[in-house]
Amino acid sequence: MDTVKKKKSPIAVAFLVILGIFGGLQLFNQPLEGKVTTKQIEAPREVISILENSCFNCHSNQQNLSWYDKIAPVSWTVNKDVERAREVLNFSEYDASPAEHKGNMYAILNMMQSGKMPLHNYTLFHPSAKITQQDIDVIKKYTLSLASANPVKKEEKNIHRNIPLTENSTPAKFPVSPNGVKYTDDYKNWKVISMSTLFDNSVRVIYGNNIAVKAIETENFHPWPDGSMVVKSVWKQEKLAGGEVRAGEFVNAQFMVKDSKKHTDTEGWGFAKFSGKDLHPTGKTADFAKESCIACHRQLAEKTGYLFDVPMKVNTERLIKNLQK
Amino acid sequence: MKKILFIAMSVCALFTACKIDEPDKDLHRVIFDPGNLKFLSTSLNTVKETSSALYGNQEALKSLQENHQLKPDSEFKLVTWKYHENPQYIGGTINGELVSVETLKTDKNGNISYQLKTDSKTENNPNNKEERIQYIMSYNPVTRP
Repeated sequence: MDTVKKKKSPIAVAFLVILGIFGGLQLFNQPLEGKVTTKQIEAPREVISILENSCFNCHSNQQNLSWYDKIAPVSWTVNKDVERAREVLNFSEYDASPAEHKGNMYAILNMMQSGKMPLHNYTLFHPSAKITQQDIDVIKKYTLSLASANPVKKEEKNIHRNIPLTENSTPAKFPVSPNGVKYTDDYKNWKVISMSTLFDNSVRVIYGNNIAVKAIETENFHPWPDGSMVVKSVWKQEKLAGGEVRAGEFVNAQFMVKDSKKHTDTEGWGFAKFSGKDLHPTGKTADFAKESCIACHRQLAEKTGYLFDVPMKVNTERLIKNLQK
Repeated sequence: MKKILFIAMSVCALFTACKIDEPDKDLHRVIFDPGNLKFLSTSLNTVKETSSALYGNQEALKSLQENHQLKPDSEFKLVTWKYHENPQYIGGTINGELVSVETLKTDKNGNISYQLKTDSKTENNPNNKEERIQYIMSYNPVTRP
């Protein structure tokens, strides 16, 4: 009997193996959790159109994903990105006050302007989602038009919000943030490292402990040394004649404490915010900063070790000598 | 031979072309050292685009707290900076160049001295001395729970 075995081509075998693995992966493919739209973001049509085109696929419950986004292993990354994006900002569950909306729009503008959003690896496979300068101009025009929005008294979710001060409440003891960062008033004896303002009409003074000050002075903050602490006092602006602005009502004290072993999910920084006269801490769970603070700090302040208010490198030796000594 | 020479020259040109310019290499980040004075208050001026930090000793703090009257042994320093849009965040500003340091002191008998230091000069009796003293005394210490 002639039993001639047909020799299989190695390419065909490899193809079948790959196909098999690929098929097997689909068994572990969980579809993205479907969610309903409870309240969609409201903005002018041209703004919404840009957000829908470039942001909604991740930052909403209205995904319009390509077929290849739904196949494992690509779907694993896509689903993770969408879940993470929804946590940070969800345009389909947009229960934002006008002040929060303004804060969100500034965050969006800054993310787009710096080229951090939409993510590069997303636009690589979805080129139509790329942002043009014209798109940024539209977002910018709209965002700046929100500058005169009335301050809102309602408790806000934005991390840089203004919170009305309750008069008759003083802290019985120093509070602790849910992530373990403790409030300390040592910062009142630290050096001022910088002063800043934000679109929310606030005045801010930033202090650093000795480790942080030394890190700035020696340009050694990539990364910041463990033990660095930076505190920002935020006040409402009190406007006087001639463009003079003073620090008015206290809003909050924002802490960043560097401990690279402890705060591994937030680039080594422990974030905390203590608001009002009673210094009540922000956040319900230990990883609150993962969903709020670090999103902006990571994307926009990487150059200065994730701190926004590092003093500018603009002073000459001579100027320092003349004025500091 | 010509080819080798050409390649060698091209490689040299490539290295010289890659010289990295550091426009800010002679510039520094400054953290003002107020000595034994403490931070008392802050302000900004949106017309001049400056921001200031007011430092003082314990007597200076009391002077501001108690009717804004200069007490003996007070020492203030008002440090003023130019501010700019924060290069990392549209919608925010941050201080940049140091502009001036004004020092206001009283001795134990209440005698007042004032000094203005800028990049180009140091003046002890500028024409607007009284106005500047009044300005410094107009600050309220910031509230920090």
